[in-house]
Amino acid sequence: MGIKSFSRARAIHVMLVYTGGCNGCDIEIVNSILSPRFDAEQYNVFLTWNPREADVLVVTGPVTHLNRKPLEKIYEAIPNPKLVVAAGSCALMGGVYKNCYGDIPSEEIEGPVENIIPVAAKIPGCAVRPQDVLAGVVSLLPTLLDAD
Amino acid sequence: MDEKVPRSNIIETEIPMGTVHPAALEPYRVRFFVEDEIVQEAEITIGVNHRGIERIMEGLPVQKANALTEKICGICSNSHIWNSCRTAEMGLGIEIPERAEYIRVIMGELERLHSHFLYLAHGCEVLSHETFSMRVFYLREIVMELLAMIGGNRVQYGCSVLGGVRPRCELDEAKILRIKEDMDKVEEGLTDFANRFTADPIVMSRIAGIGVLPQKQAIELAVTGPTLRATGVARDLRTTMFEYDNFDFNVVTQPDGDVKSNLLMRALESFESIKIIRQAIADIPEGKLVNHDWEMVDTDITESYIEVPRGTLYHSYALESGRVRHCIIRTPSMANIGAMQYACIGDQITDAQLCIVQCDPCFTCTDRAIEIIRR
Amino acid sequence: MFESTAINSVLAVVLTVIVCFIISTLLPGIERKYIHARIQQRIGPIVIAPGIMAPLKFMFKENVEISSPVPKLYKILPIICFIVVLCVLITLTPQAYKIPALSSLVAIVGFLKVEEICYVLMGSLSKSVMSLRMPFPDLVKGGAHLNAQRSFVEDISAKRSLRMITYGSFPLYLALFAPVTAARSIFLQDIVAYQQANGPFLFTVSGAIAAIVFFIGYMIILNEYPFSIIKAKSDVIEGPYMEYAAKYRSIVYLTRGFFMFVLGCVFSVLFIGIPPSIFSWGILVNIAVALIFVFMMGILSAFSPVFTNRQLLPTILGATLLGVLSIVLGLL
Repeated sequence: MGIKSFSRARAIHVMLVYTGGCNGCDIEIVNSILSPRFDAEQYNVFLTWNPREADVLVVTGPVTHLNRKPLEKIYEAIPNPKLVVAAGSCALMGGVYKNCYGDIPSEEIEGPVENIIPVAAKIPGCAVRPQDVLAGVVSLLPTLLDAD
Repeated sequence: MDEKVPRSNIIETEIPMGTVHPAALEPYRVRFFVEDEIVQEAEITIGVNHRGIERIMEGLPVQKANALTEKICGICSNSHIWNSCRTAEMGLGIEIPERAEYIRVIMGELERLHSHFLYLAHGCEVLSHETFSMRVFYLREIVMELLAMIGGNRVQYGCSVLGGVRPRCELDEAKILRIKEDMDKVEEGLTDFANRFTADPIVMSRIAGIGVLPQKQAIELAVTGPTLRATGVARDLRTTMFEYDNFDFNVVTQPDGDVKSNLLMRALESFESIKIIRQAIADIPEGKLVNHDWEMVDTDITESYIEVPRGTLYHSYALESGRVRHCIIRTPSMANIGAMQYACIGDQITDAQLCIVQCDPCFTCTDRAIEIIRR
Repeated sequence: MFESTAINSVLAVVLTVIVCFIISTLLPGIERKYIHARIQQRIGPIVIAPGIMAPLKFMFKENVEISSPVPKLYKILPIICFIVVLCVLITLTPQAYKIPALSSLVAIVGFLKVEEICYVLMGSLSKSVMSLRMPFPDLVKGGAHLNAQRSFVEDISAKRSLRMITYGSFPLYLALFAPVTAARSIFLQDIVAYQQANGPFLFTVSGAIAAIVFFIGYMIILNEYPFSIIKAKSDVIEGPYMEYAAKYRSIVYLTRGFFMFVLGCVFSVLFIGIPPSIFSWGILVNIAVALIFVFMMGILSAFSPVFTNRQLLPTILGATLLGVLSIVLGLL
């Protein structure tokens, strides 16, 4: 393991973007990082709110219309190598909101996240459990370590 | 101070925040108009989260629609499904077994606890006080475990069904014992935290007198819930709900309407919730959980108001051949948006997000089709 | 003869700087793991994570185009900050005392001022996606104050750093000049010599008060939690550092740890009289002082929210008055 992978494994900066879910996943993710019970920092996962600092972008929610462009901009702002984790069933497949107008295409829901930015890992659940969030972010490590 | 008035003439600078911002747990846009770092006016734009859930509910069988209301909000999901079932039951004339009523109250109060703890933790985090925030999150975890034990999931437990509660949510001896023990733990932890919090001079200087919402203005803006009670108005819908007839609790009020009052309000209300839960588990009646003895009929528009952690929640249903013909949901944060815009006037821009957080916003609940008709 | 002395001196300075730098990278980790995490009752990251591993990781990240009106200047600023901190450390080493122009308190104050001005420039040059550039249809019919001037959150941060230059760093400079009252000289050589002859300045009444003022000034210039108004998370997110990515962010990270250590060295030179030098056991005192400062800062920052202007002004005013008191006591 080179020094590059070694350092990457020991400092992962995570940024959260909420794109209009029901708040359930958002709170659980904040819980997994801020609560001393789960404490993501013991796996060297740090929370940041600055896209320039981030390595991993955690996205929740079915991307609503007004959230699409901010999400794209934030994704562009992250320097390479970057990875995206989609958390929660809304982010994976649009959840219950996906086909809200039946056969008529919905103007509100642009998601799932895959339609907008490439997704590296998916965490299922409604709402996601904190354990799963940590597992998902940590499972990205091999991909992150091998990146250029 | 009687009233806060926004400046109408030309102002110096506009600072937009959102839709992604560390102080906000959910996407919304707020534009602050500042002069020398003092906020003169704020404009909150919602609609970022609009997903049109009422549109999905229309045409669904009422049982499915009930389950869907949980997805409105991940914080107060139980109150949505509770009120939704309650509305349909009122329309169809269904008698709910008494045991089911008690379990609904227990879930409702546990949810109030977890919502208020989230509020306190988030408030401390916006104060940039990481340590206090983590301590509250640690307490909140006990409540979350209880909710997961009863409902089977940490968020969105789906406790209520039409005619009662889900059999999964049955409370046996062991569960009741655990609730009892954990309530002691929560009460002890919260007492410690509240004592430590109010004795901290630095924190008190940050929150006392910040983001004042005058009582007169709060009534004019039709603010609901703890935000209204923190301005000194003792108005709680739980006193009128038949579910709470058997319980003895106080309506807590605070005098000032500032951030300190709001934070203390939530902490003191949590103690009342613990009191209600203790009464409920002490004399929970025996009986069945679901009443299947009813018939589906067409109903006209039925309305129901209940008190949820954030204020007054309104649901209305009209059913036709077992399906939802009409549905309107009005969440408490809708009423409190006005308060958020007024609370931050006259404070530092560093405190502005705190002033918004003090009204306990839940914009994901609020974002739905709303048509305001002025007559 | 002269040449060999010069080479020896340069070698000594370089070695001292390298040793100090390596130790300094551990300080942010110690603060995070052993103080913050312990107070918050959790495990916390490994010690090397925030100080060493994070900068290394950022070194290996790809550079992105920085959104700034003057990107080149913006990129140079963290390097200037680092060089300034380095210069302060070199000034403190005993080998530099032979150059009187460099090894005086005026030089240290000048270097610290450069650092502060860098924050102003950083703040005004950063145009982040997290504020005004976030695409959102704001200016629509019915919106309030459509003709108001729109500004980035970093602009507030720049204005605040300007304010901090005018009054925020006052306590630190007062505390720096307190030892002068005892030694009657602004040259570090004389201050050190005086204290080695008469015992540390810290243990006089004037020195003890000045040490408290120095600690408050230390936290203000490091932008640590109660005084971190220029990068308060609740409104300006990260303030001046918003746009730094990859290598430049790693320099920002390294500078922070290094600055913590160097300010500790400043204290040990001015208040205890032990300059950092690799060839004497005195460097252990330097390291101990730096660690004690980090510990105290960590405890204070874990238990306090961020100060707004409302609390900042009285605090700084009080610290300034204390500083004046210590100087007056020293002069008497």
